[in-house]
Amino acid sequence: MAGNPLLSDRDVDFVLHDLLDVGSLCRLPHFRDHSRETFELYLRSARRLAREVLYPSYRAVDEAPARLQGGAVTVHPALREIYPQLVALGTIAAPRPAEVGGQQLPHVVAAAADLYLMAGNLSATSFLGLTAGAGHLLESFGTEELRRTYMARMYSGEWSGTMALTEPQAGSSLGDVRTRARPTPAGHHLLDGAKIFISGGDQDLTGNIVHLVLARIEGAPPGVKGISLFCVPKLRPEAGRLVPNDVKVSGLIHKIGWRGFPSVVLSLGEEGDCRGWLVGQAHQGLAHMFQMMNEARIMVGCHGVATAAVAYQESLEYARTRPQGRPLASRDATRPQVPIVAHADVRRMLLRQKAIVEGGVALVLTVAHQADLAGHAEAPEARARAQRLLDLLTPVAKSFPAEWGFESNALAVQIHGGYGYSSEYLPEAWLRDQKLNSIHEGTTGIQGLDLLGRRAVADQGAGLRTLLEEIGSAAAQARQAGVDPAWPAAVERAGAALAETTMALAKKGLSGDAEGMLLHSTDYLRAACILVVSWLWLKQAAVAQAGLARDAASRPFHEGKLCAAQYFICTELPDLERLLRLCRDGEDSYGRMREEWF
Amino acid sequence: MPLKILVTVKRVEDPESKIKVKPDGTGIVTDGVNYKMNPFDEIGVEEALRLKEKHGGEVVVASIGGDKSITEIRSALAMGADRGVLLKHEGALDPLLVSALFQKLTEQEKPDLVLLGKQSIDDDQNQTGQILAERLAWAQATFASKKESLESEAEQKKQPGLVLSADGKKMQVVREVDGGVETLEVSLPAVVTVDLRLNKPRFASLPGIMKAKKKEVKEIATASLGVELQPKVVVKKLFEPPKRAGGAKVADVPELWKKLHEEAKVV
Ligand SMILES: Cc1cc2nc3c(=O)[nH]c(=O)nc-3n(C[C@H](O)[C@H](O)[C@H](O)COP(=O)(O)OP(=O)(O)OC[C@H]3O[C@@H](n4cnc5c(N)ncnc54)[C@H](O)[C@@H]3O)c2cc1C
Repeated sequence: MAGNPLLSDRDVDFVLHDLLDVGSLCRLPHFRDHSRETFELYLRSARRLAREVLYPSYRAVDEAPARLQGGAVTVHPALREIYPQLVALGTIAAPRPAEVGGQQLPHVVAAAADLYLMAGNLSATSFLGLTAGAGHLLESFGTEELRRTYMARMYSGEWSGTMALTEPQAGSSLGDVRTRARPTPAGHHLLDGAKIFISGGDQDLTGNIVHLVLARIEGAPPGVKGISLFCVPKLRPEAGRLVPNDVKVSGLIHKIGWRGFPSVVLSLGEEGDCRGWLVGQAHQGLAHMFQMMNEARIMVGCHGVATAAVAYQESLEYARTRPQGRPLASRDATRPQVPIVAHADVRRMLLRQKAIVEGGVALVLTVAHQADLAGHAEAPEARARAQRLLDLLTPVAKSFPAEWGFESNALAVQIHGGYGYSSEYLPEAWLRDQKLNSIHEGTTGIQGLDLLGRRAVADQGAGLRTLLEEIGSAAAQARQAGVDPAWPAAVERAGAALAETTMALAKKGLSGDAEGMLLHSTDYLRAACILVVSWLWLKQAAVAQAGLARDAASRPFHEGKLCAAQYFICTELPDLERLLRLCRDGEDSYGRMREEWF
Repeated sequence: MPLKILVTVKRVEDPESKIKVKPDGTGIVTDGVNYKMNPFDEIGVEEALRLKEKHGGEVVVASIGGDKSITEIRSALAMGADRGVLLKHEGALDPLLVSALFQKLTEQEKPDLVLLGKQSIDDDQNQTGQILAERLAWAQATFASKKESLESEAEQKKQPGLVLSADGKKMQVVREVDGGVETLEVSLPAVVTVDLRLNKPRFASLPGIMKAKKKEVKEIATASLGVELQPKVVVKKLFEPPKRAGGAKVADVPELWKKLHEEAKVV
């Protein structure tokens, strides 16, 4: 093996084909030009690019972050070589429809390829991910003119895109956005304000940068109902040339991770000449932006899985080759030392990593698959069902990889012992990268509020009911395959318990006690994450158990799957009950606690 | 001067997969093994595409194997080759047979140049190109490489390493030899086998992959080519090399000598 494989190909193929049967998507009219062969060839290219080009530059890019000089950001030189190759691969518009220059690739296959690229070098791939999301906003809501001028060049990678939401006083609370937009008779608006943490907000890779900016039109109502979305290019086309659009970089954030990907402070309209073009309807900006934010949340889930995966592969290889100590049973010092994977406690850590990483791969690919079905399944009911699951699972797909992934990344450091604490080894870098995923695109706290306050109770809990149906059929499948019957029973019990708790909390909310309902929303989110990933492990166990009976040569792979499923269901799932109890009983230590008592 | 180039592509096990010999030694365990295009062949496809970009012409890729080998042909078409030919065959082959089949195809296609990988990474035989040239009675140059490094500007600009003469009748080939490189000139048509340092092959892009679906792949049954399909070289048994025994420290030179002489029997 040449280097770190980033992810297990066998596992990704297992999820794509054995678990999700993505080949059957090709029967849907939208995907009719595709086949397993196009999927395989695309994945092959992505795997190679990730392993041969992206990964070898990861350390160098982490060690020498982007610089801001004279108002302009310079990225690491390696990125200038990588960027065109990523563009050439065709990732930006891969899932978009043919009429806008896309290839109608299912999201699930695009996401699988992205996992490799992200695991290879997160910073390098992030420019393209944001461009795709920003381009899609213009595709959905932009005028013909905006689509022609900007979207097409973004999808081709000539220009890049950003999402510019956050302001110093408006982070989690986007309703407090203050950037102003003044209408002009010419049709455009003049913008004036400051944005912070804008990723990809400046760089020297593309000829132009298109910011999708949230701002408030003069006289707009306060709060979220007064926010509009604007297309604000760094350079605007004027009389056949590109001229500066009064977008200034006033600072560069010094980050602890993702260090190749510059996040900047932007100052709009210092000279009164920053032009923005309204995207979609006035005052509907946040609603429009939610399209990008929902996509971005799934993308963040992929970041989390990829970052945990590459570190897992690293610690796995380390544990197989680092000799240390001897078996408990025979301490004979004249015998050679054993590799640390021979110690049960090291296998505990590795198996936890495996359960998190492969559970995460199954999670993000399942959610991407639901996005494909929600958009393109033939029967309207099938589309609606997939949409319900997608809506419910989005905060889980964002938060499980971020939170459990961080623990998995910490285990990679731990397995490396003292060497893991040294920056000579890579696990500490991935740990730094991973931390961002619980912060951006809505912190874990905000995801919990969103899940419990909105998504789980929407439509009388229709999303949860769909999830329970899915759990029911996975349980039946598992029993039929001969999986230990205690596992499906435990997952079904957990599903029922989550549903019950949700009802009780919804009642509390309806009675006017929103504080009480949401006091443990983060615990609720954690419980939902555990339930969803247990469901996916149960499904994997069913397929693995059936495989074990059928195919002797794959025995090691399937046994490994079953051990990881057992680990998650028998050691992680029991925590759900504790978490739900906290939610139901409203344990109020921090509820009662006052600021002055700290 | 447009060139017509035939490039061979073989489907091989991906060395990134863990490859294990079956306990009975009849082959390798194929479960969980990924396949890919032989990396040397990929370099051949890249070189052909560069030559075509520079001189015009046509790039035809050919593979011998079962239906699954079409994936490797598509992979080359996705990189930019124009059309493919699958010589459909199940069962064992050896370089004598492979070269005989490619001889028939070459006679049908009449290319100016046949490019092959210098060897395939599964059996590592390094014979097919040489035997093919002999069968065709064409000039041959093996182990094509180039003087510039893979980090050079020429490589960045995707310049071909093989240099066509102004009259289009000859090809200059830099080849790797022990301790250096030598430059040969072959008259066309010729057979050239390519080595690792000739170029860095491009990745098939998604748009390229979609375009490749619409390109022609012709299938020809090997039985129809009039070649006696009985391999002369037969794989009888596969086994892993014996595990290396650990080293040992010796006290002094006389002991070393004794060990080398009496145990290893090398001096
Ligand atoms: C590296 C990086 C890149 C980024 N890239 C972008 C980008 O490209 N575009 C962009 O627009 N933004 C970007 N952001 C901004 C990011 O989305 C915000 O940092 C994030 O939404 C949190 O906002 P904040 O930093 O103001 O924290 P705050 O909102 O101040 O939150 C601080 C803490 O308080 C909690 N909290 C806040 N409000 C509530 C509440 N109502 N209930 C319970 N808890 C609450 C949070 O969970 C958090 O723990 C980026 C941030 C970083 C660090």
